[in-house]
Order: sequence, then structure tokens, then C-alpha cells
Amino acid sequence: MGSLRPRLATRDAPFEQVRESPTWSHQNADEDEPDKYFHESTFSEHYDGRFADRPLNYDERRSHLTALMQTYLSTMNDIGAETWIMHGSLLGWYWSRKILPWDSDIDVMVSEQSIHHLANYYNMTVHTFDLGSDSDDVESHSSSYLLEINPHYTNSTLDSVNKIDARWIDTATGLFIDITTLRRNTTAEALGIEDAMMMVKDKHHYNYDDIFPLRHSDFEGYPAKIPFAYAELLIEEYGEKALSDVYYQNHRFDPEKGEWVALRNPVDGVNLPASSSDEEETAASRPHAADRARPGLETPFGGRPLPPRLLKQRP
Amino acid sequence: MEKQEAEDDLRRSRSERHRLHITPAHPPGPLIDRVTNGWRGDVKTAANPPTGDDYEPGICDFEDEGSCPNVSRDLVRSRRFRRMMALVLLLLLVAYYAWQAYLRPRLQQEWNFKEGFLPGRVNGTYGIARAGDFDGTTIRDIHPDLLPGGVADHQGKRRLVFIGDIHGCRKELLHLLHSIDFDPTTDHLIATGDVISKGPNSPGVLDELIKVGAESVRGNHEDRLVEAAKTLLSTDLQAPSAATTSKGYAKDAALLKELKPRHMRYLHDMPLMLRIPALPLAKKRKGKHHIAEDIIVVHAGLVPHVPLDRQDPYFVMNMRSIDHKTHVPSALHETKTGNSKPWFDVWNWYQDRLDRGRSVGGFHVYSYAEWLEKQIQEDGWFGKLRGSVLSKALRKLNPQVAVYGHDSKMGLQVHRWSKGLDSGCVSGGRLTAMVLDARGETEVVQVGCKNYR
Repeated sequence: MGSLRPRLATRDAPFEQVRESPTWSHQNADEDEPDKYFHESTFSEHYDGRFADRPLNYDERRSHLTALMQTYLSTMNDIGAETWIMHGSLLGWYWSRKILPWDSDIDVMVSEQSIHHLANYYNMTVHTFDLGSDSDDVESHSSSYLLEINPHYTNSTLDSVNKIDARWIDTATGLFIDITTLRRNTTAEALGIEDAMMMVKDKHHYNYDDIFPLRHSDFEGYPAKIPFAYAELLIEEYGEKALSDVYYQNHRFDPEKGEWVALRNPVDGVNLPASSSDEEETAASRPHAADRARPGLETPFGGRPLPPRLLKQRP
Repeated sequence: MEKQEAEDDLRRSRSERHRLHITPAHPPGPLIDRVTNGWRGDVKTAANPPTGDDYEPGICDFEDEGSCPNVSRDLVRSRRFRRMMALVLLLLLVAYYAWQAYLRPRLQQEWNFKEGFLPGRVNGTYGIARAGDFDGTTIRDIHPDLLPGGVADHQGKRRLVFIGDIHGCRKELLHLLHSIDFDPTTDHLIATGDVISKGPNSPGVLDELIKVGAESVRGNHEDRLVEAAKTLLSTDLQAPSAATTSKGYAKDAALLKELKPRHMRYLHDMPLMLRIPALPLAKKRKGKHHIAEDIIVVHAGLVPHVPLDRQDPYFVMNMRSIDHKTHVPSALHETKTGNSKPWFDVWNWYQDRLDRGRSVGGFHVYSYAEWLEKQIQEDGWFGKLRGSVLSKALRKLNPQVAVYGHDSKMGLQVHRWSKGLDSGCVSGGRLTAMVLDARGETEVVQVGCKNYR
């Protein structure tokens, strides 16, 4: 009898229930492994196919990723979930407290307690923000973000198809933040290994002392937590030069502005600069354009970046 | 010349006639008559350049006395020449040896030190990035009244006492203070950080330091505790930290429980760097037991040439080595790249260069203003003159002495520009004090420690 019962596979929320702008789902769920929970889009692994029908260009992607990060940090702060930035985002923090402009994803981690908390009380919640601009000439609009937890998060053994424990998804563009959990290595602890390292399901291992206690800083203008030995982690992952090289991926670090600037307009298909004919798109994707034009608001060398857009969460 | 050419022509025409008319006919007579020696004429025209009118001997002609082999033979036979040759050979050998064994390594070493200071697209510029934050005072200047030979001490009776990593070894601290006749009214105690953790009595050490009005820079262990206190003691409703599930947390939490608010205030008040101006009564002279320059006290180290306010706090409290190409520090002695040098080696090389007044003009710049200033100065002699009159140097580049701890594996490290005072007290080594008087003389005093690990 049992063998005749259909196999129960957990899937991400069905397209019909969460659809926003695209008319059909750009997912290829059937091509992925049967146990895989999250399904990326058919055109890029950095988008959720339920919410996107095309990749964004360079300027759009930057501004949407920034909003994605800001709303995530703001929400986690409100909930009280312990989260910190890692990998490429940590490198961006080190250089300029901002996402690296060529980075196409954001990496964050949460503690075990936090993922339990999020799964128990916040799974499939939608958080809507007014991405208002602090100047009049940029029209404010709202955007909704979905927090979706992978039910496989409870399985703390290595799981090659479900490395990502949760996602913070922009339902307007399909961009998302991968959330992974830093866990105690129960396998190693069971074996009685004295100095068991903490682990993540994507096979990364970390020393407890390199991550905790978390440092308090800010990222993209919002309070964020940083691993204790941030410099050690960055050198380990990217090498010494990642902390000294001021040229990378067609970008140069401008010491005066304190941020990375494109050397020339990136030309590959994904990175085409926003077309100026599309009035609305351009305005929305260039949040700082108005700020830059305003006199007296110049960023001093090494100083803090321009104030971020005002975020207002809808009640 | 004309005569010779005529002769040659004559001879050649004759030989040709012989060849043309006589040879095919085979007339009777001895064979010797048929020898024309025509080749001699050919050789002569070929060997003699048209410009030379006498016969010039070839350099390898053995019949000629001045030819090369003969001259060489004579030279080789002469003793004087042989002596000279031997001398030349010897000199060449010495030069080669000097190059290989001394000059080349020296130049290579000099380049290895210099490379990291030069801007270029290959190694990048460490110190440009925003880097980490420091929650507290980054740079503190010592109170002028505490300076030996300063405004409050015209007689030069005051002393500064620097002590390496104490790590909660209160007994050893008291013993050391006693052995240098420490008097809080005339002496000022400065610890190089890591006064707590690992050892038996961290609160006791903090109390002693507070009692004698000592200052300390923040070490990596204080940094850990200050950061941990924010999460563990914070009043806002945060989800329980993942830290609660781990062992490392237990150590922090246990120590935090022992510490009273006055201790936490003291820890939080510790600056990242402590700056001491050059002692007014100290005369400038060389020697590693004499300090007449500015002093910077840090826990672990500094990257030379990077301005103090651009140093990454994490590395200031944790570095042990520097990558000599990129100048990115590391908490390890040896990194995977194989380019590691002890940070103080690079520091000492740089301070020595400043001390000798050698140019650092081609070295990294860290701000747009600094770069602009450099452009003005490099714009010809007029620009240089104008630059020296109009713009003051943004950064005064005087050599500085770094006093630090952190590296117990290296032990006591006293050099002219760096003084490493951690001699591993908590693990049974020694507790080190460096006493500096108003004339700039230093004295190193050590006491033995029990092994608490």
C-alpha cells in the first residue's frame, strides 16, 4: 500500500498563489532534482522565475539589490533575528559599506535560533515597503518582499540540493537574498571532536571565534552585523589582494567618493546601462541621481555615503 | 698601385692564355712547364683590398713577428703578463662573488621591502578601503602632565612604564611593579593590551591598573569581550544568540559575569592607539635602547606609511605579519602566499628610511588631498617652491617608535623603531616592563611567571 502512495515532495509556493507581474512562471522546476525546494529562473540563477521574466540591466540591478538588502536588514532588525552579512557582501562592506556594483547576489547568514524563529512565525510573510525618495522629482513606489523558508532547513546534514535555508524575494523583480544557517556541526560533535567547527550546508566551515561575537556596523545605510574576524574571513575566501586591489571587474575604487565606480559602461548583455528613453525606469533605478545634483551634499573623502532612501514599512 | 695592378693583369692574362691555348693541346715537355701558378694571382687580388698598397700580414700569420699567436706566445711567456692576468681573474671573481653573495641579495631585499610601498595595478593599495569600525577612541594622546620632562616635570624625574600582555596575572604584575620601584606619583603605567583573559585573575589586574591610574590600549581579548557584552548584556529584545549554543561563548560569558561595571567602563575606555610625543629632554641619537621620537602604543602592530586613522582596527589588534607585496597584514606568522614578513621588519625598514631622510615621494597616497598636494610639489622647481610655501605637508612624516605586545611566540623584540613586549607570561614565560626615563633611556625588566595554561 505504502509504495503506491504518491511521493510527497515539498515545493516552493505555487506560481498561481504568489504571481505578480509575469503572466507565466519562468521556472523549470521539473528539470531540477525532485527534492530541490527553491527553483531559479530559466534565464538566470540569480532570479526567482515566479516573479521575473527578464534579467535586469546593470543600473536596475544595483538599485533593486540595494533596496533588497535595506528591506531585509530592516525587517530582521524589527523581528530581532540574528543575521550577518558574508562573502561578496562582506567584501562590499569592507570597501565602502555598500554592495559591490558587479555583485549579482547578496549573502547573509542567520543563527540556528533565528531560522527556527523565522520558520515558526514568519514563513511566507509578505513585507511591503514604500521605497520613497527623499526628493520630490523621483516618484515613490512600493515593493513587496516575500520571506520563504525552505522546509529542509531542519535537516542539518549536508544536502546538496537544499543548501539555501530561506530566501528574501523581491516580488517585483525576482531578485532574492540567499539565507543560510550557521549550525553546530552535530556530526563532528557526535564523534567527540573537541574543537568542532561551525558549518553551513554549502560545505563552508567556520571557527566559532571568527564569527562571534558579532560586530555592530551598518550596510547600505542600515544597522547590520559583521562577523568578528571579518578580515580573516575575507583573506581566507578571496586572498590578500581583495583588500588592496583598487581595480576589479571593470571597476575602480574611487578614494574620494569612497565607492566603486565603473571604468566604462559594462557591455555584456546583462550589464547594459539603463536606457534613458525609459523615463520611469530610469528615475526609479537611479535613487541617488537627485542627491548628486543637489549642491552641498558632496561626500567627503572616506566619509559616509549619501543618505539612503527613506524606507517606510506599510502597516 | 697602378704598377701592381698592371702586373696582376699581365699575369692573369698570361695564365688565361696558357689555360686556353696550351692546356687542351697537351704539348710535349716536362710537366713543370705547365705549372702556371695562376691561383697565386687570384689569391692576391682577393686578399688585397683595393685601397691597401703594401702587403698586410694576417693576424694569424706565424711567419710575422707581430701576429696574434706570436704576440700571445710572447705575452704568455712573460711573467709580468701572467701576474696581471691572474690579478684580473681574481678581481672578476671577487666582483662576481660580491654581486652574488652580497649586492644582489641586498638589492633584492631592498626591493622586497620597497615594493609594497609603491603604487601599481599589480598589488593594489592597502589602506584605501573603508575597513572595519572601532567602537571607542581610535587615537588618544597621552595627558601632557604625564610626559617625562614635559610641562609638569622640568626636572625630568618622571618615567613611563610599558608592560606587555598581562592576561590576568595579577601576582606577576605586582611583583614586576615592585621590582622597578613603581611610584604612581612619578611613574605612568601603560599596558600594551590583553590585560585580561586566559590568566587567573582578570578583575584583579583591572583593579590594580585602575588603582595606579594606568592606561592600556585595547587588545584582541578586550575587543572580544567588549563586543560580546553588547550582544549578551544588551537590553533590547533580541533573539537568543547562536552563541548560547557554543563553547567559545561560555568563556566570554564566564568572564563577563566576573567583571563589574567599573571594569567594563575601563575596558570600553581603552583606545585603539595611544600616542606619546617625543620627550623634550631626550637627545636624538641612534641605538635600540634610546627613544627620542614619537611613540605609538598599539596591541599588535601597524602597517607602515598608512595614516593612523586609516589603519584597520582588526589588524591593529591582531596582526603578526605583513604581505610584503600588498601590505595586507595577517594574524598569522605565515600566510599561504609565502610573502609574509614580520610586520615590525617592514615597519623598521620604513622608519629607518624616514630617519635617514630618504624620499618617500613615490610611495602610496591615501587621499585625494594628499595626491593633489603631491602634484603641486612635483610640478617643477617653481611648483616645489610654491608648494613648500603655500601648502603645509598634510602628514608629517617623522619616524615613530611602535610599542606593542600580542606576539608571545616571537617573545621580547627590541629594535630601534619597534618594541615587542609580550614574552608569554601567562604560559610560564616572563612579564616584561620597559622603563623609559626623561632622557629617553630605556631599560627592560622582566619577572618570571607561573604557567597558568
